[in-house]
Amino acid sequence: MILATECDTANEVICAPANVNDLFEFDAWFTVGGLAFTRTTFLMLLAALIVVALLYFGLRKQRLVPSKFDAVIEGLVGFVRDDVARDIIGPDSRKYLPYLLSIFLFILIGNLFEVTPLINFPITSRMAIPLFLSLVTYFIFVIVGFGKNRFRYLIDTAWPKTVPVGLRPLVGLIELVSVFFLRPLTLAVRLFANMVAGHLMLTLLLGSGVIFIAAVGDIGARSLIGVPWLAFGLFIFVFEIVVSLLQAYIFTLLSAVYIESSIHFEH
Amino acid sequence: MEGNIELLKGALALVGYGLGAIGPGIGIGIVAGNAITAMARQPEMQGTIRTTMFLGIAFTEALALIGFVLFFIA
Repeated sequence: MILATECDTANEVICAPANVNDLFEFDAWFTVGGLAFTRTTFLMLLAALIVVALLYFGLRKQRLVPSKFDAVIEGLVGFVRDDVARDIIGPDSRKYLPYLLSIFLFILIGNLFEVTPLINFPITSRMAIPLFLSLVTYFIFVIVGFGKNRFRYLIDTAWPKTVPVGLRPLVGLIELVSVFFLRPLTLAVRLFANMVAGHLMLTLLLGSGVIFIAAVGDIGARSLIGVPWLAFGLFIFVFEIVVSLLQAYIFTLLSAVYIESSIHFEH
Repeated sequence: MEGNIELLKGALALVGYGLGAIGPGIGIGIVAGNAITAMARQPEMQGTIRTTMFLGIAFTEALALIGFVLFFIA
């Protein structure tokens, strides 16, 4: 995409880049009842399919000695079950484990598309997907909160009993905004912003590195400037793998924490 | 050179986001630094400390993220 920008590197010092939205918006392949089926839609379905396939083939039969693939999948499942669900939510974590496991794996696969050759597009960098996932988490913890505590959930959030009376309106207002508005927003934006930033950095560094090196015939020795950029881009590439894992983990962890705060609601 | 309000707004939003990132930057530094101290003192608590550290970072980061959103809105 960025390579398609028409720019004569021999004459122009600064090339005006194409619109940044070109990196994130794709043309519709076909339209179904007003909904466009784009590359992002396809990748989203692919990610869901990969998650199902991984779990199905990884946990299909229980062997005495698991194969290497089985061990990896069991490790992932065990990580979410023990380190996220059980450690955070506690004894009744089994009810929420399927949800936490599916969002963890879906976000992980979606993020790793960023560094997958030939795909190179993190689906979580389109706001619709993180926003939808965070809204699901939002509805779960709000419904659980009202289900377990009835209207005490809303009243005690807005009028916290553990705070001195004078401060209650202020703390209550902050709590109300933070629980019911900022939680879902920051949950979605954290994932979205990290993935957008990573995708932009990778495209700019690797893209400009390749463009400069490819233009060696036109600009001669000046194309050497592309080498450090490409090297830095490759360094960021490895860094982005870590970010992908970390963001999937943090999204799941925060979902678990929010659900836990609704179950054991004490104010 | 007519006064281009749109350009000015974009530039101001950039400066605003830069200012908004200072506080969370310091905060995340404090969180991570103290987590490292805690891990060095009690390596057996590493798992719990790491989880709590990520939580602290996530909550601190929220302020920077709000700035990020406001940058797009502005």
